[in-house]
Amino acid sequence: MNPAVAEAALRRDLARGDAVLESVGPVLRHLLGNDGHSIFSDEIIASMRGMLADLAQQLVSAVNRTSSPGGNPGQATDRESDLLDRLVSQPELLAHVHALALEAQLAARLEARLGLDPVLSPLLQALIGSNAPEVSSIAMGLLAAQARFVQHGRRMQLPLGEMPGDLLHLALLALRDASAQWNIDSAKVAAAESEIRAAFDESRSRLGLISRLVTGLGGGVMAALSVSHAGAAIFLSALSVACGQDRDAVVLATHDTQATRLGLALRAAGLKSAAIAEQLEALHPDLSLSALYEQLGPEQAAALLAGTGS
Amino acid sequence: MIALSASFAHGRSDGDGQLVSASERLSELQMECGGDLPGTIAIPALRELERKARLYGLKLARTMQASNGREAITAWVEIEPEAGGGTSMRFASWQAAPLPPEDTALIAEHRASIDRTLAELVARLDHKQCLLSVDCEAADLAALYAAMKAGRGRPWTDFVSVDGASHQQPMHWRLLDGASLSVPGSQRKWRASLLPQLVPGSDPTGFELCLTADVPLLHRDVDGPSEPRRETGLVGRDIAPVLREPISRIITNAETIRARLAGPLPEEYSNYAADIAAAGQHLLALVQDLADLEVVEADDFDTVPERIDLAELGQRAAGMLAGRAQEKDIVIDAPRQGESLPAIAESHRILQILLNLVGNAIRYSPDGSHIWIRLEEAGAMARLIVADQGPGLSSDQQVRIFDKFERLGRNNEDGGTGLGLYISRRLARAMGGDLTVESAPGQGARFILDVPADPAA
Repeated sequence: MNPAVAEAALRRDLARGDAVLESVGPVLRHLLGNDGHSIFSDEIIASMRGMLADLAQQLVSAVNRTSSPGGNPGQATDRESDLLDRLVSQPELLAHVHALALEAQLAARLEARLGLDPVLSPLLQALIGSNAPEVSSIAMGLLAAQARFVQHGRRMQLPLGEMPGDLLHLALLALRDASAQWNIDSAKVAAAESEIRAAFDESRSRLGLISRLVTGLGGGVMAALSVSHAGAAIFLSALSVACGQDRDAVVLATHDTQATRLGLALRAAGLKSAAIAEQLEALHPDLSLSALYEQLGPEQAAALLAGTGS
Repeated sequence: MIALSASFAHGRSDGDGQLVSASERLSELQMECGGDLPGTIAIPALRELERKARLYGLKLARTMQASNGREAITAWVEIEPEAGGGTSMRFASWQAAPLPPEDTALIAEHRASIDRTLAELVARLDHKQCLLSVDCEAADLAALYAAMKAGRGRPWTDFVSVDGASHQQPMHWRLLDGASLSVPGSQRKWRASLLPQLVPGSDPTGFELCLTADVPLLHRDVDGPSEPRRETGLVGRDIAPVLREPISRIITNAETIRARLAGPLPEEYSNYAADIAAAGQHLLALVQDLADLEVVEADDFDTVPERIDLAELGQRAAGMLAGRAQEKDIVIDAPRQGESLPAIAESHRILQILLNLVGNAIRYSPDGSHIWIRLEEAGAMARLIVADQGPGLSSDQQVRIFDKFERLGRNNEDGGTGLGLYISRRLARAMGGDLTVESAPGQGARFILDVPADPAA
């Protein structure tokens, strides 16, 4: 090889290495300097990794079910870690599992501080007691789904049926890509894929049920915009619908460092200043917050949020 | 697992994202969004969801938000891909709320751009409102245009008369902005808009003057102005839009109380709330009908005749009301595929009449009965008959039933306003046809709609 070409290649590799080394400091500083409430705490990262690994495991075992059961056990693990690498590189998927981990952490915090049951909130109780049979039965379904969510959160699992449809689609595409390298009949993969797609029903997932209930509240959605009344799960969905932001973005907004965003989101949802202050106090009792959002109308707040994105 | 027990609306799409069938609310929204049935899905959020469900091959269930221009619509939708490549859609929790008021600065901006677009005379003025240049397209402003061109440097108010102004002109521009004017040679009423060229911290350096008329001139090249529209429509134009919002709010709040979303509540209060909501719905229907009534009663009411097919419109009306009929186990026997009866009338108006006739038939027929929609040629007229197995009408009732506010002694609970048939008959007559009824007590009723047949077909 021409020495000049070799030198250029080496230089490029070194530069890439430099970039990694440069980020080591800030990342370490961030990881070590933050307490358990960090958006990158050990617990959150572990939980995210666990959920993605669980996804990979479910997808690979679905393929193994349709293809012949032979092959050594080590092969399955290799495939799972290969697929996991691909899942981790999907930003939407990462954002979603991050939000789920933060939501679980938020629910646990509210339980510790306010005694708020992460499964059965006062609003969910009222909905279960509704004399409209449809509302009552959806609310019962949500009670079961929410209990499973808490359990899955502890076990760091994410069942395929609990994913939003768009993300399941992404995960299945990742599976298709990964399996092309696996020396496996592509028809078998396709069979597994279509089995998963056919079994999927977004309306039965936890997020689907919450969203269905929140939509049914109509004008009563204000009742769901109180975190201590609705509980974290319903509150987050209701706020997402009312302020027009993606639910995962709303979950991030409940973090201590994002109180301004949360204030604006509540404003955009149409809450009055006193009600916003009450919600901020419930979520962030230790922070003293500026009330600048009082100066803005709901539309302006929504426009500001939409403009900055998430 | 949860089943949507009472599906509010439903529809189907084919493999190309075309909405091929839709129940009443959905088809209404589809048309209000500018779409057709069958036709490409025109509701943006639904179009996106439907596309995803087909692309992913996944059953999706989401909250859908849309707007029909007057109201923000929220609904829960479940879309399931079907074997043939299309999807089936089911909706629940369908809610409409008045759109929130717009930002005032934004409204001013929109107003300015609307005025600029619609202006039939545009002039540039200096800081004293004196004419610098003028441009005009309207035939009935020709005299004004010539006078203004010849009178550059003079105040624009010299050339028009500002209604109700006795002051020395020109007044401050803010007072003149929006003023109504009379223009010599034009029978139309005009409005002036003054759009200032603002320099922060000082007075405007000049203005753009836009004159807009209350009625646009449809044919700019035709000599002579069109007849000015008579000032009618107090309810329809002024009151109905104002009433809709508070009534909708009453209904929403009453529904919230009824469903006990804010907390537990004794049974009787929940029932009162249901009564309030029902009365509100009735009031809303009445406001809508009153607005319609005023339109059809105006002297200058006119319909836009076009070539239509009564068979197709009959099928469409039956399709839109199929859900409501199903609730009462009523079978609607609509014109068959392939049947055709060409006529000359305005299709939206005919559909309005048919929805009224078939809706009434469903409302007053016993459970499990039949409703027939039949077509007949009747010489120069095309005839559509809606027949039911309801209680029928005495000859005295047959005369009174087309009267304004006639409910034939029925109470408020059936939701009728007593205006539907009156409006339908006015519409039929305005299109050169008629609406009549044949019936006897206990024999059901036959409502007969005649409109001019299409001689060319």
